[in-house]
Amino acid sequence: MAVKNLPIVPSGDPGALVEAANYATWRIFRPVITESAKVNPIVTLYCPDGAITVDESGAEVNYKLCKGCGICAKESEGIQMVPEYTGPKGVF
Amino acid sequence: MNKVLITGSEAAALGAKLAKIEVLGYYPITPAFPAMERLSKYIEDGELNCKFIRVESDHSALASVLGGSLAGARSYTVTNSQGLLLMTEVVYHAAGLRQPIVMGVANRALSAPHSRFPEHGDAVSQGATGWIQLFSENNQDVLDNTIQAFRVAEELRTPVMVNYEGYLQSHTLEEVFVPDQGKVDAFLPLKRMPALDVTNPRGVNTVAGPDVYTDYKYIQNAAMEQALELIPKVAADYNREFGANSCGLIEGYMMDDAEHAIVAMGSIVGTARLLVDELRKQGKKIGLVKVKTWRPFPAQAVNQILKNVKYVTVLDKNIVFGVGGALATDIKANLYGQGSMVINGAILGLGGGKCGVKEIKEAVDHTESSENKNRSEWIGL
Ligand code: SF4
Repeated sequence: MAVKNLPIVPSGDPGALVEAANYATWRIFRPVITESAKVNPIVTLYCPDGAITVDESGAEVNYKLCKGCGICAKESEGIQMVPEYTGPKGVF
Repeated sequence: MNKVLITGSEAAALGAKLAKIEVLGYYPITPAFPAMERLSKYIEDGELNCKFIRVESDHSALASVLGGSLAGARSYTVTNSQGLLLMTEVVYHAAGLRQPIVMGVANRALSAPHSRFPEHGDAVSQGATGWIQLFSENNQDVLDNTIQAFRVAEELRTPVMVNYEGYLQSHTLEEVFVPDQGKVDAFLPLKRMPALDVTNPRGVNTVAGPDVYTDYKYIQNAAMEQALELIPKVAADYNREFGANSCGLIEGYMMDDAEHAIVAMGSIVGTARLLVDELRKQGKKIGLVKVKTWRPFPAQAVNQILKNVKYVTVLDKNIVFGVGGALATDIKANLYGQGSMVINGAILGLGGGKCGVKEIKEAVDHTESSENKNRSEWIGL
């Protein structure tokens, strides 16, 4: 068997894992911006994945990077965690 | 080439300065700290153009150095014992991401019980991480190994630890020959290999599935095997350029007709030389093998130099619990099927315990008289 030709530094595009596994998600809940004006910019520092940005145009979550940990929603107003999966009754 | 009287810490710092490191990440720990102090003074005095990143833990120290390296900067740090253990996760990252980081390790015993004294347990705990590990017999070795480490690391894209023992080396003054800056610049041309690019952001250490993970590890291991060829070449270049006397993988001392060989690494090599000289005067055919490169393990070189001996005494300033000394284990594994010599491991000098000429003599006598061949003996209990 031949060794595969791989990059020296294991690397990929940001969010590559999410795209590679686009049939799946590691989130159970997703943060949804309910009142952008109320989002405290400090969440950009609290988010462990740099997945949320807050600027003049408001707050935005990059769902390719967001792990759904819920820290942003816990730390700030204007964000709500909603179930990612709303399938068969009784699951959520 | 000028001659100075410096400690091992100063030799490490001087080596990093001569290599013109650009990023230094550091968290204070004893006995590694004087190397950092000296480097920070070089930076403060304008003698070294380097970004000194002060962090809140050793884990972050190596992480910051990893970031520097990924951005293409020549990066360095120094730590020991508990700090090295705390770094361990990033130690693996650096190797897997193929970053040419050089790290000084002022070897100190590990807790518990707490100890501030020298031994190799910290380095040995990192023996499977994919870092090249060099050991230093004296302060000259610390300087020479540090400069050579950058060359090896950058050619192979594999990180290198330069081990020197806490206090015995980090805080002890010795005469050291210092190479000229101009010649070091020529010896270590800076080849930038940035993995990060702000105009084209990518993630490093992305997930590798079962289809490629084995391949990544195979390629990483192949670089370690190449190191066995590169390290002696780099040492030979270094000796030629600087008129130095630095060994590559191993060095044999009085080994030509030796029937009994002592094998050791680190500061105890110097002590063992004294014993060999003394026993040679009494007519005993004894020699010494200094292992400078412990990872990758120089199996062929060791087998070659030990092929005609009857007795091998391996000195280990470390203990792998339930197994024995790490170096003895490697020697035994690699000499398997190579003859019928007696190989005895001696565990000594743990946590600053005695490991002088008397203790090494005891180990040597034990090898020749032992009823229990091929096992680990504890000296100095
Ligand atoms: S849920 Fe967690 S990962 Fe997602 S944006 Fe909020 S803090 Fe970041």
